[in-house]
Amino acid sequence: MRRISLTLLLLGIATATHAQQQPGTPAATVIAVPPLTSPDSGTKGNQMLATGWDATQLIVSDLRQTPEVMPLTPNRDDYYSYPEVTAPTFSKWRSAGAKALLTGFVQARSDGRLTVGCYVYDLDKGRELARKGFVVNPNDWRRAAHKCSGLAYQAVANAPGVFDTRIAYVAENGVGDGRTRRIAIMDSDGYNHRYVTSGSTMVLTPRLSPKAAQVAYVSFASGDPSVRVLDIESGQDRPLVPNDAISFAPRYSPDGSRIAFSMMQGPNSDIYVVGSAGGLPQRLTTSPGVDTDPSFSPDGSRIVFESDRGGSQQLYVMNADGSAERRLSFGGGWYASPVWSPDGEWIAFTRRGQDGRRIGIIKTDGTGERMLTTGPGDEGPSWGASSREILFQRAGPGGRTGLFRVGLDGSQPRQITIPQDGSDPDWSGVMD
Amino acid sequence: MRKTVLFIALAFSAATASAQLPFLSKRGPAQPVVQGIDALRAEFAAQSGGTTIYYSAGNVGLAAPARTVLTAQAAWLRRHPEVVVRVEGYGDSGDTRDHALAVGARRAEEARSYLVLLGVPAAQLSTTSWGKERPGLGRSVTVLVRTN
Repeated sequence: MRRISLTLLLLGIATATHAQQQPGTPAATVIAVPPLTSPDSGTKGNQMLATGWDATQLIVSDLRQTPEVMPLTPNRDDYYSYPEVTAPTFSKWRSAGAKALLTGFVQARSDGRLTVGCYVYDLDKGRELARKGFVVNPNDWRRAAHKCSGLAYQAVANAPGVFDTRIAYVAENGVGDGRTRRIAIMDSDGYNHRYVTSGSTMVLTPRLSPKAAQVAYVSFASGDPSVRVLDIESGQDRPLVPNDAISFAPRYSPDGSRIAFSMMQGPNSDIYVVGSAGGLPQRLTTSPGVDTDPSFSPDGSRIVFESDRGGSQQLYVMNADGSAERRLSFGGGWYASPVWSPDGEWIAFTRRGQDGRRIGIIKTDGTGERMLTTGPGDEGPSWGASSREILFQRAGPGGRTGLFRVGLDGSQPRQITIPQDGSDPDWSGVMD
Repeated sequence: MRKTVLFIALAFSAATASAQLPFLSKRGPAQPVVQGIDALRAEFAAQSGGTTIYYSAGNVGLAAPARTVLTAQAAWLRRHPEVVVRVEGYGDSGDTRDHALAVGARRAEEARSYLVLLGVPAAQLSTTSWGKERPGLGRSVTVLVRTN
């Protein structure tokens, strides 16, 4: 972000004639995304160009969702030749008002897969910012396009994009005791939606591993709520801890090696950590009362959690070995379900008060508290990989629940489209 | 509850079948246990002043009315050591999901501990929590699961 504003500043005079940015909004970087080309010829070449056009439109739709990047509407007639991918005509896009350019190609490989190559340029400086190639199955062209979007977003906005990520949530159908709940997983743009549990047992709080290969969740299959871990591809499902204690609130460490969670022992809920492949859980908190909802810092060295040890629920931070506990929140109301942002700057939380439940953020030193939503039935924040957006659950007056995303830029929450009611959203990091 | 109805329906149809096929009658009356636990549940609820005790919002402590009900429940349970019991705790609606699960578990545990204090064998009792996931919040319920 800082790098881009510097660029804008230095080239302010040259760009003054381009009135692409909306007045009053923070400068969004205009990027040109002409249709991806292909080195292939004949029928194959036409297929690749068709895929390239689909990918181009997806990249544009990805980038259009961000406040930082503004893609020009692509024109199908703007095809360029394959050599021009790495040697584009900068002046053409400059005069169209763009400050950045994304070029790329789709190439058929002899093994039946595709290579998608993407290049990002700074038009004002006339130099390349980033390049990357992705080899995918033809059916996975969307993921390659999302990767290209991420490459451009990272180069321009200086943060990982949320495009090639997954969302897990609890899909809800029916009413009252007959309400069924299944864990659903989808791409962050809503594609590839599928259910990974059957609906015969109640499930809660799916939490994806960092690369979205596994999901830890709470199941009532044994009668008691307890944490289980499901491998999404193989369908293999196992209890996190082989005992019959009530356990809940799982959360992966950022490197995926550990899972922090809560377990009941008598009337006490304490925080434990265990290897995500199994092993003996280590107890981290010992205070009487309810300690729950642990979330790791991005470097895995600290854990933020909620505790009602002081009478009301508040946020606390401790080292990942349980030492050096300190209270973080001191505002009115009750603070719950803290989640550390991927860039380490913020902790998102749910605050309960007279006006219901709302989503807010606070700096890791306890300053800068800010509410992002108005409630009254909001809870369960989860960060996008960019650290600039939060996904959460909102319950309406009739008990219907939906998923919303809200930016840190003060914009209104937007509901995301899912096939039924949904709760407990969890947003993965960028996939491999 | 629905399952129980189903069992009774099955038992009934089995009886009908046995009338047509006499050799089946050697199996004797079907599923008396299910009807037994239902009868026990009715008796338990009637004699202990209810299966449910209530908590004030955010609170896990037992108020005087709750202790009265649990005392009666304990007296009944001591007379029926063959009955396996689960205490199910519920959280509060305004609460966040995981805290509600913990509060439900604490309420169930409070009720269970009180029953043990009053002489009910711990082996007879277990606890669970529904958090805020089911209708009927702010309470715990003593459920007769089965007889040994």
